[in-house]
Amino acid sequence: MRFAITMFSLLGIASIIGTVLKQNEPYNNYIIKFGQFWFDIFEKLGLYNVYQAFWFLLILIFLITSTSLCIFRNTPKILKDYKNFQEHIREKSLLSFKHSYQFTFKNFSVKKIILFLNSNNYRVKHKVIDKGDLITAKKGDFQKLGYIFTHLAIVIISIGGLLDSNLVFKVQELIGVKQIQLEDQSLSKIPQSGRMSENNLSYRASVLLSEGDTKTAAILRAKEGYLVQEIPFSITLKDFNIEHYSTGQPKSFKSNLLVTDKKTGKSINKIISVNKPLTYKGVTIYQAAFEDGGSQLDLKVWNLNSLTPSFKMNSEIFKNNELIFEHQKLIFEFSDFRKFNILEVIQNEKQKPKPTNVGPNFLYKVRNESGQAKEYQTYQLPIIIEGKYFFMSGMRNSPQEEFKYLKIPADYNLSIEGFMILKYLLNNPEKIKNAINGGIKKSAFKTNEQKKAFELGTRSIINAFIKGGYNLVVKEMDLNISQKLSSSDKEKAVKTYINIIYLVGQELIKEYQENNKDKIIFPINDSSSFIQNALTAYSDSFFYGVPLYLELKDFKHVQASGLQLTKSSGKFWIYLGSILLVFGIFCMIYIQEIRLWIFRKEGSNKLVVSLATNRDRIDFDQNAIRLKNQIKKIVNYNKVINVRKNKR
Amino acid sequence: MLEKIKDKFLENYFSLILSFLTIFSILKFHDFMDHYEIIILIGSAILFSWMGKMWHNFRNLFLSAFLFSFISIYLYQGSLEQGELNFFLKYFLASQSAIMWMTALYPLSLIIYWIYLFSKQDFYGNLATKITWVATMIGFVGLLVRWHESYLISIDIGHIPVSNLYEVFVLFCLITSLLYLYYEEKLKIKKMGAFVLIIITAAVGFILWYTFEKGGNQIQPLVPALQSYWMKIHVPANFIGYGAFSMAAMISVAYLFKEKNILVDYLPKLDILEEMTYKSISIGFIFFTIATILGAVWAAEAWGGYWSWDPKETWALIVWLNYAAWLHLRLIKGLRGSILAWWSLVGLAVTTFAFLGVNLFLSGLHSYGEL
Repeated sequence: MRFAITMFSLLGIASIIGTVLKQNEPYNNYIIKFGQFWFDIFEKLGLYNVYQAFWFLLILIFLITSTSLCIFRNTPKILKDYKNFQEHIREKSLLSFKHSYQFTFKNFSVKKIILFLNSNNYRVKHKVIDKGDLITAKKGDFQKLGYIFTHLAIVIISIGGLLDSNLVFKVQELIGVKQIQLEDQSLSKIPQSGRMSENNLSYRASVLLSEGDTKTAAILRAKEGYLVQEIPFSITLKDFNIEHYSTGQPKSFKSNLLVTDKKTGKSINKIISVNKPLTYKGVTIYQAAFEDGGSQLDLKVWNLNSLTPSFKMNSEIFKNNELIFEHQKLIFEFSDFRKFNILEVIQNEKQKPKPTNVGPNFLYKVRNESGQAKEYQTYQLPIIIEGKYFFMSGMRNSPQEEFKYLKIPADYNLSIEGFMILKYLLNNPEKIKNAINGGIKKSAFKTNEQKKAFELGTRSIINAFIKGGYNLVVKEMDLNISQKLSSSDKEKAVKTYINIIYLVGQELIKEYQENNKDKIIFPINDSSSFIQNALTAYSDSFFYGVPLYLELKDFKHVQASGLQLTKSSGKFWIYLGSILLVFGIFCMIYIQEIRLWIFRKEGSNKLVVSLATNRDRIDFDQNAIRLKNQIKKIVNYNKVINVRKNKR
Repeated sequence: MLEKIKDKFLENYFSLILSFLTIFSILKFHDFMDHYEIIILIGSAILFSWMGKMWHNFRNLFLSAFLFSFISIYLYQGSLEQGELNFFLKYFLASQSAIMWMTALYPLSLIIYWIYLFSKQDFYGNLATKITWVATMIGFVGLLVRWHESYLISIDIGHIPVSNLYEVFVLFCLITSLLYLYYEEKLKIKKMGAFVLIIITAAVGFILWYTFEKGGNQIQPLVPALQSYWMKIHVPANFIGYGAFSMAAMISVAYLFKEKNILVDYLPKLDILEEMTYKSISIGFIFFTIATILGAVWAAEAWGGYWSWDPKETWALIVWLNYAAWLHLRLIKGLRGSILAWWSLVGLAVTTFAFLGVNLFLSGLHSYGEL
């Protein structure tokens, strides 16, 4: 008993650990989190897979044994109690009960009383003692049987759980028959020791299928590696479908499957979805996940801050592209493509953020020769932020970081071209010269010296901006201007500089638009915020890592569906145990055991009625009094005799 | 007199009204339901008419909640815009308005229960009970109308409002107060309202914060994992458990007060408090067990395994073990008194963590209502 409680507490504590420490993560994450020292200790304790740990299973086994022992010890007692009517009780002790009554009667009939008690669901025994009558009755035996049911249920549920645990594999691993596979290799090369047979009693394995693919075995994740689970059929994914609500959130994931029996070659075709699995040959196939299945991307590569021309690039998710950039070999590793993305978008200042589908994005890493990589996430379409459209591309140095977004404003035609034109103009000395001169013409400068000085100053600011954005402008200012300036003056100077850069940008764009009247890219009256945002984006491009922007021109979406294959031999026992458990709890709580004695001494016209229950409850008092009154009526009572009760 | 006629009428016809409503719903809406949902509908009708037989006040609640919901649905005229245009909808019967009325009335009844506790005047006690009834009724109207509103947004978005944190908190308030009102009537312990309404008011506080700070009252479409008839059974059953455990904890507070001679003249007898704690824990335990098992059956259908050691599942197990131990000590060992009272308070902490903390601090398959 005490042992069982300890085991239950241990089970509780172990479970809590399992919820606090994220389970089944890649081992690298744990090393980063805890450091090598603690990682090793935790690994030995099995804390990364608590629920499959050996000691956890051991607790379960102990629990089963101790609970079984408990049942084994107590059942005979309970059964004996079930049969026992307590007929040997003495009159004296009957009178000592809390509910004990005496009265005289007119006509006493054993038959009538028994009939009455039976109709109230009592089991009744009648016995003649010393020529007197003793009627004993009881009901609510199931209360105590409930004890057996609940405990038996716990044993059955635990056994079910053990059947579905990987206990068999654990043993096989221990004696060296099976071995977790650590390296990625093709299924056919995996040795027998890394394969679980079709007859494995229980498993939860997974299969990842691209559209059009067929697989004949599943993968069982185990610790930091995996095993191959043989299955009695092959699965083909005909196609995978995601439906969306009008708000863009996913509504359903559906896999159109062709499942073919390996032995007979017969196949069935079925669409499964979340909550609607398919069970075939004892294995249930679930819709569990989805990812990209190797979508094809048509990209255009733009340099964000130099005159290098753009070029086309064709790539595929899970494939790499190589590129020479500034004498360095760069590897582009494409890892994901998502057609739908729901983001909280602020459409305009008045509205609250609203979940909106912002269209496709793709994920890739750019790795340099030394092996370091930055990760990028780029959206195909411009996203509206407070009334303005931006092309968004996030960059981060490691998966632990959040993406920092480069926001390139879209032009009048919602294209990225406008920004690229501005970039081109900024990097073109001739255009800059014209723009500065245009500015001077409009200015209030009178003498040539003033004009010359302004031109020189402006040019150096612009040059700094072109080479390194606002950051470099400020840096150079700090170098050139003496430190005497107060911080407020410095701020003023920076503002002036920013304004000058803006004015140059405005001139550049105005001139461009005037020379290209057939196509509006920068509307004359409404381009100030575009220019500001474009200059900011240009400046930010120096913090974008490799300043190459991948514009997604077109794509061919190929999806992959993640299926889970479950075989569970414990399920039946779990459900059986569960039903028994509910029934048992119900018995224990809501059925009340009541015992009743009616005694008449030989020749006497006095009747003793006593009631007892094993659990004193408030409603029992009312029931007892009601029952007594009913019996009084049946025997036509005369006079009530007070029972002197010994205090109990 | 009128009251008597009404009672007599309902005695005979409540079940008939329910049958009529059920048949009407099946005929009109069978395209929106699968077989299981029709079974659940019929099952609920049977359950509710049984509850009406057992507990007469339940019939009044049920019928008035339905009446007001029907009025609201009628006023909507199939268009969500009416919620802003129509005066009665805007201020009373749109789901958000109805729920706001609920959030105003529960704290009010808490105050009046305390006035009753100290003044010992039946007038206040009856008033507090009435207000609690009205709050519960209007809360149910809020949820029922919300159900309708979700279909007005779009036919495919429509679903029973037990799918996110906001909705289940409202459900929690309603179920806890219903449980309390039942025991108040059966065990004649009006004074306990002063304690039980505390936890309900706390939940109301959460609802208000969640609505105004987080905009959590928005109706969101169901993620695929939740699109199942199981949700209609699993979630309410679970919340009967949560509600009963919370009530038990509140009564334990009263028990501990009484035992420590605080407010001793105003509180019911210790053994009544003890009995009520036991009753609510046992009803909670049964429903929590059933809910967890149903959850497992659902998980077996949706996630590919009846038990995945998901944090919510695991914490449900811990809650279950906690109360199993509580009942074990009381029933088998015959333990009574303050240890059990303290224990049921600890139980409330554990339950709250399972209910809310898991969503806050741990991730997993159950993360449908994040803060």
